[in-house]
Amino acid sequence: MKAARVVLITGTSRGIGRGLAEHFLDAGDTVCGCSRSPASLAHPCYEHFELEIADEKAVVAMVREVVRRHGRIDALLNNAGIAAMNHALLTPASVAQQIMATNFHGTFLFCREAAKAMVRAKGGRIVNFTTVATPLRLEGEALYAASKAAVESFTQVLARELGATGVTVNAVGPTPVPTDLIKNVPAAKMEALLGRQAIRRLGTVADVVNVVEFFLSPCSEFVTGQVLYLGGVNG
Amino acid sequence: MPPAQPVSSDSIRRLIVDLLPDTARTGDNPVIFGAGGALDSLGLVNFLADLEYRLSEVYGRDLVLASERAMSRSRSPFRDVDTLTAYILELLGE
Repeated sequence: MKAARVVLITGTSRGIGRGLAEHFLDAGDTVCGCSRSPASLAHPCYEHFELEIADEKAVVAMVREVVRRHGRIDALLNNAGIAAMNHALLTPASVAQQIMATNFHGTFLFCREAAKAMVRAKGGRIVNFTTVATPLRLEGEALYAASKAAVESFTQVLARELGATGVTVNAVGPTPVPTDLIKNVPAAKMEALLGRQAIRRLGTVADVVNVVEFFLSPCSEFVTGQVLYLGGVNG
Repeated sequence: MPPAQPVSSDSIRRLIVDLLPDTARTGDNPVIFGAGGALDSLGLVNFLADLEYRLSEVYGRDLVLASERAMSRSRSPFRDVDTLTAYILELLGE
């Protein structure tokens, strides 16, 4: 029987984050999740923190509380993200700031704090979340794609900085998955996007779980700094 | 979080010295980082991570030592045991 893992997942209130939390709970792991809203999951091994992921003090407090309770963090999944489909010239500065704060700054803060605990434990897995919108250079998603490009670059540099510590840092780039994040994307635009994938269908949470579990596998200790896109999209 | 212990310069100093490599615990004011320091960059990362957790355990405060304030100082608070003790006292006093 494999040992239960302590998995920290951001953005667990819905969508892919919630699906990931359910997967790890089903696998017998402990999941510490967070979102801006109260918990939408109830499970004996699920612990929820209500916070804004770009709030440094809140992130520091959450990560250290998780370590106090469980003694370690085996894996960090930086899933939380927001998107605003809009032409760059029609994007308010406040929206641009909010996208960067949540998608990049939040990812950075959780990586920094979780990595401190992982370095102390001499091992751990970090999986950041990007998107196929970045390599596809999708029109109408300039800010979202740019924020995830920052996440990709950060992932690759952090992987090198932590290379000698036993901590791996990788990123998964899902195709559109039917969640709230894409519910307002027009059907024609979605069809055009899927047409640029090698495998032309929407993704599923199971597709994402598969990649995440690959990165978390003990056998993947030699895999770091990688960005893996789903659906046959290339970087 | 366990009950916080009283803050004192001596107790902070002990926490710092305890986390330094044995070979660095020499003299009145061991040099931590920089020219002649006990730690390289990765060593400093490990040391500060350990120290933040020890400070949380002992004083019940979740400090981030590599703060903007620390980085903007002309004299690094991570230079030696004296400067780091003074810096942590300052943070805990807020």
